[in-house]
Amino acid sequence: MRKIDARGLRCPQPIIELGKAISEIALGHQITLLSDDPATEPDLSAWSRMTGNTFEKKEKNTFLVTKLS
Amino acid sequence: MVRVTGNFQSESPLHPKAFEVLHAAFDNGWADPAKLSETSAKARALRNNALETIATSLNLQVDWLVPISSTSLGYFLGIQGLPLNSKTLIHGATDRKDVFAVAAQNQHRVMQSALDGKLIPTPTDSKNAILALQVANAETGVIQECDAIIAATNPEHIFLDATTSGVRVALGNQFTTALFDSKSWYGPSDIAMLIVKEPSHWSNPLPHLNAARPNFDVSLPLLLASAVALENFSSEVNEANLAAREFNSQMRNAFAALPDVDIAGDLDSSMPHMLSVSFLNCNGEELLRAIQKDGYSVDSGSACTADNLQPSHVLAAMGVLTHGNIRITIHPGITDSEVDGLIASVLRNVEQQRS
Repeated sequence: MRKIDARGLRCPQPIIELGKAISEIALGHQITLLSDDPATEPDLSAWSRMTGNTFEKKEKNTFLVTKLS
Repeated sequence: MVRVTGNFQSESPLHPKAFEVLHAAFDNGWADPAKLSETSAKARALRNNALETIATSLNLQVDWLVPISSTSLGYFLGIQGLPLNSKTLIHGATDRKDVFAVAAQNQHRVMQSALDGKLIPTPTDSKNAILALQVANAETGVIQECDAIIAATNPEHIFLDATTSGVRVALGNQFTTALFDSKSWYGPSDIAMLIVKEPSHWSNPLPHLNAARPNFDVSLPLLLASAVALENFSSEVNEANLAAREFNSQMRNAFAALPDVDIAGDLDSSMPHMLSVSFLNCNGEELLRAIQKDGYSVDSGSACTADNLQPSHVLAAMGVLTHGNIRITIHPGITDSEVDGLIASVLRNVEQQRS
């Protein structure tokens, strides 16, 4: 599974990196996003709604994103 | 230095009539209204007139008005002064941080926000709650359905935060205390109005020796200027709302035509002069600076523009994108060409950042 280590990067960089990576994987596949930016969690909710994908918070600063559209 | 052609920040210059009165007010209103001299009597008369004017414009009784010199302090006075003992303070996730600060020292419950910015009331079983309710949000302008929230939470007492709604939205009469900010009617900053409608249910939460109604020190010239600004803005408010709404709708349509845009709240249930919009994959700070270079000042709720590097708690509570955010306030006197120029600048800079 693909992993993006965006720790240390500030918004909107983690979401931009995720956007790039998600366009390169197939539907149903997943990406692990590591990010310690305080805007990442709320922005993942908005991003999921806007792009039709989903995410799950696995632990602190670790998010599992599933491509659904 | 950049020449600002259009100010779309939340702050704005004083109402021109208030500016005129300030000089005269410092000339005539320097004495202590509480003393016995002739100059003090004059100052007292000026103060009373100002309060009468403010009460009339806000459609409230003059003896409910407690002028104060800090809006932040007003939240503490207005909420903590209510009989909170063994009660739960219910407030909204999109409230000002000042409300969170007061809630932190009390038993409290937070009403969550829906995506459109409307609070989801938390029903209570008995009349055991105190409700702190923001009439309109300071960042997004979303107006709450106050009557429905009050009916659902059934509180014993209500504090209404009218600091953003001001005279643009009618206050209703279901409240014990309320707070207005002079800036909302283009008066000077550092003047706020605490409204104590039911004095028997409110006591001064600050240390005090005298149980009588508190008389906080406020600058008389600023109070006079605030009264003049309010009186004038009240007579212009309908016109201002109509013009702002038209411009706001123009901006929303233009921005919504771009892909991956998140606008906070609908215009129909928001303050007509406020707009908060986020552009996916854009940097709020860079966007703000680029727009400023084109001559337009806007605000931003993105983390990169905040002192503490935290994203806007209002946008986060709503679930609206926090990055790439700009906030636009449409003040009276803004022209067609300024609005067209701002729209063009935003569209161009968003496109540039995304490329």
